[in-house]
Parts: sequence; structure tokens; C-alpha cells
Amino acid sequence: MTGALVGGLAGVLLPTHFLVIVALGLMIGQGGRLPLVHVALFAVGFLAGCFVIATAIRETPAPILLLGCAALCGVVVLAAWRPPIMLTTVMTFAVGILVALNTPPQALTIRAAMIEQVGSAIAALLALALIILIATKAAQPWQRIGVRIVGSWIAASAILVLALRLAR
Amino acid sequence: MRATIVRLASAVMAFVVATAPALAHTGEGTGGFLAGLMHPVFGPDHVVAMVAVGLWGVFLGAPAIWMLPVVFPLVMAFGGVLGILGVPIPGVETGIASSAVVLGLMVALAARPPLWAAAVLVGAFAIFHGYAHGKELPDGANAIAYSVGFVIATGLLHLCGIAFGLLTRWPFGKLAVRAAGGAIAATGVAYLGGLV
Repeated sequence: MTGALVGGLAGVLLPTHFLVIVALGLMIGQGGRLPLVHVALFAVGFLAGCFVIATAIRETPAPILLLGCAALCGVVVLAAWRPPIMLTTVMTFAVGILVALNTPPQALTIRAAMIEQVGSAIAALLALALIILIATKAAQPWQRIGVRIVGSWIAASAILVLALRLAR
Repeated sequence: MRATIVRLASAVMAFVVATAPALAHTGEGTGGFLAGLMHPVFGPDHVVAMVAVGLWGVFLGAPAIWMLPVVFPLVMAFGGVLGILGVPIPGVETGIASSAVVLGLMVALAARPPLWAAAVLVGAFAIFHGYAHGKELPDGANAIAYSVGFVIATGLLHLCGIAFGLLTRWPFGKLAVRAAGGAIAATGVAYLGGLV
């Protein structure tokens, strides 16, 4: 139980994960197309990421790529652009993989590690679904403006840190 | 509803006035969300300029009232990238102080230029503000939390300006908002003259 909780916290409360999940959720919700399919795609992507972790490959550039995804999603949200379905599906799948790659379990046993990953997956999926729901329900003009402002904040934060990571 | 708006605007103004008088750019580089959140708030030169953006947005009306706060963080991030990369921009602090003067005057004079002109003006100043923030962005694990903190703080300062600007619905409010614009411009002049 504790392992799942630790995994869950890592899945959502890491600043990078929080940014990218909110931005992705807002983008999907703003587009208003196939929200459940996107949540399922995220889950499949996360599962794929877990398999990649299991192969114990070397360190991945997941943090940088996650920031790039957050920046891109944030810009799409602030522009209130309805992206092509292909872009949102590919982005959702990619973010699922990257979030899994960026939360390698810290547990010592395989069982505990799996529990942590399950916790991460559940927390990330719930957060994504919640954000999509909020963005989908944001129908009033002021609510849509609020969504765009949040997208702008996420894009700005992600771009700054991305530049910092790439420059130093 | 009106009473609520007045109370909200008063609280926002009290918050803005009560912020500590200290420059934002001390060169410190501590991380964390709270540090980022407090960074722009403890720099009156930033505070007045951000509030002025919100105030001016109200005077300009829709869509400027929401477009300026939406565009500002992104342009500020562009300035931040320039700061991080070390691209030399002369007179950054002067540019920040000038932003308070110009934006304050725009509010005081209730200027209503075309939206594109307002966006270009605000965007140009956003680059100076972003540049200063970018140069002080701490590296490490807390960089994201710090960035999120100061971007949110910047946005909230805009919202403070918008909230106070809503007073323009009443005749006395228009006067109060324009007076606030004058005070902002005077603050900028004080910074330019090295009086603060």
C-alpha cells in the first residue's frame, strides 16, 4: 500500500509530471475529441514505458522530452488551437511512455517495484482524466480564457526550464 | 456582487501596497516553488509593471483584458531564454523601470491604441522582465517548481491589476485607476532616477 502511494505521488507530484499531465489534459479536453480513447492510450503508453524500464536500458532523456511535450501542449492550449487527432494521440502515447520512464521504481524487490509503478500509473491516469473532464466542461467564455491562461503559464515555465537544461 | 468586487479590489490593492520594498534582482539563486512565487512579489519594479499590464488591459477592454495576460508569460519566457543563454541585452534594469513609466502613463492617460500596438509594447517590456528572471533562474531539481512559482506570481499580479481595474465601472473608480496608473509611472521614474 505504501509502495503504491509512493509511486502515486511520484507519478503526479513531480513538477515535470504535473506540468505535462495538466497541459496534455487541457489540450485533449479543449479539443473535445475521444477523451476516453486518449486516457486508454496514455495507459498503453505507460505500460510500454514500464517494459522499457524492465529492459534496464541506460538513462533516457525523458525529463527533457517531457518538458518539450509540456511546452508544446501549453502553446496549443493558449492558442486555443484544435489540434489534429493524430497529434493528440501520438502526444498522449508518447507522454505515457515518458512519464513511466521518468519514474523508475526505487524499490528493491520486483514485487514492490511493480506496486510502485501501478501506483504511478493509477495516479497519473486519474489526474489526466480529471484534467480532461475539467477542460471539457469549461464551456463558458471566462472558463475557456482560464484554460488558455493556465496553458500559457505551463508553456512559459516549461520553455524556461527547457532552455536552462539545454544551456547548462 | 458589486460590493464583493469592491471588497476584492480593496483586498488586492492592500496586498499590493503591503509588499516589502526590495529590489527583485539581488542575484540570489535559491530554488523551490515558494521562492519562485515570492521572487517577483518582492520586487516593486516588477510588481507595479505587472499590475499596470492588468490595469491597462481593463482600459483597453476585450480582447486585450485577457489577451495581454495570456501573451505576456510566453513573451517573458522568450526573454528568459535570452537571459539563460546569456545573450547580451543592454539596459535591462532601465527597461524594467521604463516599463513601469510607460505602462503607468498609458493607464493614467487612459490610452487606447490599437491592440497590436499595445501587444507589441507590452511584449517588448515582457522581454526585459523575462531576461532578468531568466538570468537568476536556479539550476537543479527545483528549477521547474521555481519557474512555475514565478510565472504564477506574475499572472496573479496581472489578475490583481485586472481586479482593481474593474473599478472603472464606476466614475470614482475610473479616477482611482488612473491615479494608480500615475502612481505606477511615478514609481518607475523613481527607479529610473535611482531614488529607490
